[in-house]
Amino acid sequence: MNLPKPNSSYEPALVTRAGEVIPNAWQLLVDEDTTGAEGPYVLGFERALRDLDGLNGHYGVRVNPGDDVRLLEPFLDRITLIEVAFPGYRDGRGYSTARILREDLGYIGAIRAVGDVLRDQLFIMMRCGFDEFLVKDKDPAGAIAAASQRFSTTYQGAADSARPVWALRHGIGA
Amino acid sequence: MYVYDTFDHAFTRDRIREFSDQVARRLSGELTEDQFKPLRLMNGLYLQLHAYMLRIAVPYGVLSSRQMRKLAHIARTYDRDFGHFTTRQNLQFNWIRLADAPKILEELAEVEMHSLQTSGNCIRNTTTDQFAGAARDEHADPRPWAELIRQWSSNHPEFSFLPRKFKIAITGADRDRAAIRVHDIGLHIKPQGFDVYVGGGMGRTPSLGHCIRTGLPGEHLLSYLEAALRVYNRYGRRDNSFKARIKILVAALGPEEYKRQVEEEWARMDRARVDAPQAEIDRLKTFFPDPTFNTAAFDEAAFERARTADAAFARWIRNNTHPHKRDDHVSVTISLKPTGLPPGDASSAQMDLMADVADDYAYGELRVTHEQNIVLPHVAKNDLYALYTRLDAVNLSTANAGKITDMITCPGLDYCSLANARSIPLSQEISQRFEDANLTDRIGDLQIKISGCINACGHHHVGHIGILGVDKQGIEFYQILLGGRADEKAALGQITGKGLPAEAVPAAIERVVQLYLKLRTHDNERFIDTLERVGRDAFAEALHEPA
Repeated sequence: MNLPKPNSSYEPALVTRAGEVIPNAWQLLVDEDTTGAEGPYVLGFERALRDLDGLNGHYGVRVNPGDDVRLLEPFLDRITLIEVAFPGYRDGRGYSTARILREDLGYIGAIRAVGDVLRDQLFIMMRCGFDEFLVKDKDPAGAIAAASQRFSTTYQGAADSARPVWALRHGIGA
Repeated sequence: MYVYDTFDHAFTRDRIREFSDQVARRLSGELTEDQFKPLRLMNGLYLQLHAYMLRIAVPYGVLSSRQMRKLAHIARTYDRDFGHFTTRQNLQFNWIRLADAPKILEELAEVEMHSLQTSGNCIRNTTTDQFAGAARDEHADPRPWAELIRQWSSNHPEFSFLPRKFKIAITGADRDRAAIRVHDIGLHIKPQGFDVYVGGGMGRTPSLGHCIRTGLPGEHLLSYLEAALRVYNRYGRRDNSFKARIKILVAALGPEEYKRQVEEEWARMDRARVDAPQAEIDRLKTFFPDPTFNTAAFDEAAFERARTADAAFARWIRNNTHPHKRDDHVSVTISLKPTGLPPGDASSAQMDLMADVADDYAYGELRVTHEQNIVLPHVAKNDLYALYTRLDAVNLSTANAGKITDMITCPGLDYCSLANARSIPLSQEISQRFEDANLTDRIGDLQIKISGCINACGHHHVGHIGILGVDKQGIEFYQILLGGRADEKAALGQITGKGLPAEAVPAAIERVVQLYLKLRTHDNERFIDTLERVGRDAFAEALHEPA
């Protein structure tokens, strides 16, 4: 039997919440790699905490599920990209990470979901404040379009601009 | 009851469309079973031993007669003509075809129902007191708050992939009939606000919830829950699914430290983004008014004549009615525990009949109880005999609510892929042994709860007598626990004596009960009271055959 390929067997492609497929200019520095001229670089979490104080320019930081993103607060003005890792899609810690960045720390740079990112998670990722997705799907732009249109109603306030139903019901924030 | 507006309808429609698309992708092979699993679970679809099981949400156990008829229709059309009411106040269909699932969800949406978040590692159906809005000892109606939580937790973007499932229970009465101390979060509405209990649960590591806050204002309930869930989502264990419930986190941190983290999160939070405004809480409250009560004078003489003439009716009145806030009404429990049949099951004909009597005598409203029975919350006393007669005609007049044969029983090895031992046949044998109505009544209130494995779906930890099925080298064995209770004096039962083979259990239970009848000081000293007075050890010996 010729079955279509499972979602996760597609090569990841980088796509924005607007549905634009974009090239990835960033490289992840493994621990002791030195920064060269060809940046921009994404630093591991520990390294970011250690080095960002003495670095100039703008960096990205990789946040793994167990990392406390609030520790990045002093450095946020030097960070333009935060990659939130989903080693497995069942690990939901990254959703809290993104909301804390947006709603608590007021971070306005890019938040990118990387790892096990499938089309069925895109809607809630957008709601939590993600704006770039390294998604595994045969049609990345189509996956974004489908996720954007999936729900006309949201019951709760989150990091996006969607108004919760109670705000719509009572004309709040119109 | 709550009525969907255009937003609620739109949400349910969108969700069904999403799931239909996921089912189609699974059937085409684009989604692997591994990828499909969390998606189907979020929509209440389990793969069981023999077939797919679809678990339908009955939000906080409240059903209209119209919804009950729809469930009957689904049982007839897509299942084997019956459904199973669960301890989550939900309904399960055990013989569903995957391809039919989207169609069933559409049928449910017609009557404002769904199967969302009835499984998976998300916030599940909030449960409450089956007598909410009717009980004499209630000071606040929990239903509007349960609806507020239902909406807030629906497709919650941050809490859809929690470490493990998450269950919230809420009560507004003095007597706790919602078992709030054995839930991930238990809420008790008090005049000065909400008491919040966290970290209760059963399963392999049973524990009672800790009170981490009192007097929480209702208008901040959602933001406080959000803070509590966020701490859990970030720090709950994910390396071992048996240690992933919030109770493990609360025990590891200590309740004080967990509370500190929640309060800190709550203090930082922009609550206005999370908390629904007072106007929305007020709106939700308007959906739960009293029915227009039938105020015809109670004809006590006629009632007494019926009671004297029909001893079975008298017994049913004694055991299956609960005090109502109005003197001329009662709440009625329809027992789904007749002798010899699986607990919690109802045929489509029985569901239809329950819908009909709800329309004729109970203002069209029904409740599913966590004891796996059905309640008619408001029944005029004048209608009781007519109601009883109609229930009796379809084997729904079993007069055992709260009695020894009103057992909570998980599906067990007959249905469940996790179970180690059978539960339903054992409960049937026990109920046969106590079939004698006089004996049952003499024993009085006694709760037996049976689980076919350590996951404790049958709540054995909080049974006055709990029975746990274990697998001992391929043989089904049962451990007996004594002294559990889920009410306002919540306690966990303790394993007593040695494990017993299935055939020895009913006799052991009988010996324990006979000893209780001998030890009690008067007829109104309940089993649990006697046990508390004399201690478990007094009963340990009775569990085993005299040498």
